[in-house]
Amino acid sequence: MTKPWIAPQLSRRDFGKLVGAAGLAFGVSPAALRAAFAADAVDSAQIISGKASGMLIHNAKLAVMETPLKMLREHDHTPKEILFNRFHYPHEGDAAWYATTSAPPEDIVKNWTIRFDGLVQRPRTLTIADLQARPQEKRVSVLQCAGNGRSYYAAKQKVAGGQWQNGGLGNVEWEGVPLRPLLDDLKMEPSPEAHWLTAEGWDQPATPEGSDFAKSYHLADPALDNAILALKMNGEPIPAQNGGPVRLIIPGYYGNMNVKLLTTLLFAAAESPSAFQSVGYRMPLVPVEPGQFEANDYTVYNSVPTYGHKIKSVIFSPLPDDGAKAGDAEITGVAFNDGEAAITMVEVSADGGKTWQEAEIKPAESPWAWYHWSAKAKLASGSNVLMCRATDALGRTQPMDGLTRWNPRGYEWNGVDRVEITV
Amino acid sequence: MRLPSLFFVFACAVALPFGASAADRFDLPKGPGRDLVYGYCQTCHDLQSVEDSAGIPHGAWNAVLDNMKGFGLRVSDEQRAKILDYLGTWLGPNPPAPESADATVASANADGAAVFENTCIACHQEGGKGKPGEFPPLAGNHDLFLSADFPAYVVLNGIEGKLQVNGEAFDNAMPPFDFLSDEEIAAVIAYVRSSWGNAANRPDGMKDIGASDVHDLRAKTMESAEVLALRQSLLP
Repeated sequence: MTKPWIAPQLSRRDFGKLVGAAGLAFGVSPAALRAAFAADAVDSAQIISGKASGMLIHNAKLAVMETPLKMLREHDHTPKEILFNRFHYPHEGDAAWYATTSAPPEDIVKNWTIRFDGLVQRPRTLTIADLQARPQEKRVSVLQCAGNGRSYYAAKQKVAGGQWQNGGLGNVEWEGVPLRPLLDDLKMEPSPEAHWLTAEGWDQPATPEGSDFAKSYHLADPALDNAILALKMNGEPIPAQNGGPVRLIIPGYYGNMNVKLLTTLLFAAAESPSAFQSVGYRMPLVPVEPGQFEANDYTVYNSVPTYGHKIKSVIFSPLPDDGAKAGDAEITGVAFNDGEAAITMVEVSADGGKTWQEAEIKPAESPWAWYHWSAKAKLASGSNVLMCRATDALGRTQPMDGLTRWNPRGYEWNGVDRVEITV
Repeated sequence: MRLPSLFFVFACAVALPFGASAADRFDLPKGPGRDLVYGYCQTCHDLQSVEDSAGIPHGAWNAVLDNMKGFGLRVSDEQRAKILDYLGTWLGPNPPAPESADATVASANADGAAVFENTCIACHQEGGKGKPGEFPPLAGNHDLFLSADFPAYVVLNGIEGKLQVNGEAFDNAMPPFDFLSDEEIAAVIAYVRSSWGNAANRPDGMKDIGASDVHDLRAKTMESAEVLALRQSLLP
């Protein structure tokens, strides 16, 4: 739909047309889709063309979905067909933005621009071709929704929003242009007052009263040293559903901090007033209790954005419906953090936390990638509660009780993972 | 007659999954204010977001509504209060038993004015004057009389795409309001057609449709882009 408050780079309708046409080229018949959507249940393969069947849907209309662990554990680099999806704004009429795993169409890519502006002497505008002409670097990183695991907070007090389990994450290989050298080379001459970098994407709220999506990072943040303007995901152009044609990737940072459909980078004196930076996607600085601190009580003084991944581990097998047998078993999973220090230990319990043993950890592909770990255990007949807990070289570890980090927006769940299996 | 471009139709067809009538899949508990939730909350997301959040306390629903403002939700204070009452009560931690629900306004004697106030006014505004560039006016809108049943197609299926009303261009999407009862739809159409000077535009002999006609039209499910095509075909 035409929205006068949107910068006239490309109309969303035009983009939708193009991506929609691309979707058709991949053999999706509109009639088939129509029939499918008349049905009661909605399958992920019908929501996004090219997506695998059987994803766990959190909102069909917004195409919000997570990866069942059974699918996630099959790949070391999570393919686009099963990677979780989360969009913030409706795209009625041109939902094809996220309706396909195909690359954004050539016309879109050709006309895409990224504006470097704000408190600088010399603003710049770059195209995708400009970015492609520069040296490219790879970053393998876990991409994780800040709301991943939100459903587990319900044990204390349910939190509004998609009830994410553990599958809002994937291990992804990104490739693109390192941010800092690019900013230096552009010689924009930022003002000494510029302490923040704000990234904005092309997607827009449904009405002008909504808040534009923006994310701000302190320019001194060492995480920016590893940031890239990514043009590829797992070796291919990034589909729009995952932020293509260009996405700001800050390895080790929660998904929302990696701005999709990047159009603007601003040097700024303060962090963006966007609700998505100043109120949303934040964690309280001190523990808060349900009813005493609500989802809009966040300020820049009492909370901090969901920047780096809190250390976390997830059990990949056995899962409850794997049909595990009593006796010798191998417990496997992954662990990851923000990449600031290596994961040095994963402890595993097969008896609900009574006894623990150290798992064997395989080296990770990069500081931000997931580590695979495994441990041998004996499963008893009946119920077995499997648990895992990761610790890194800085001594950071997962809370035994994740509910101690309850927060009214349900972010950053990293409580010790628990899987109950009956054999 | 001008048909929409093929590209447009295709893009919409691919997009339609997201516009699929959520009322089919999500049945919120009956209670006063439910229609406002159906009417407002499906503009951006389907009602799984509401259903999955069921059980959170009143204060958390209040924060959700503030949060949705950030996403672009626009409601009057009065409507917001009604929505919050509904969510905090019927989707709160201790919802009343379903049978005690004092049903919605659905009745054989549906009040068209009340339906408009509760459901349509959000976009089409007081007096049906619409909102320039976003929501077409209903006052003086000749589409109301394109055929006897055209407005019912729009209410039941929504309408989406580029259209002009009284020379002003709109390009937006109206979701289906098929959760309204047959009686309510018939009543609200009759109300709108007879309000704000619209009666003067009624062609001779065009009658309002009844609830049973609406019932029959429900069977002919259309996509919102098809309703736009139907409109084009009816334009003089």
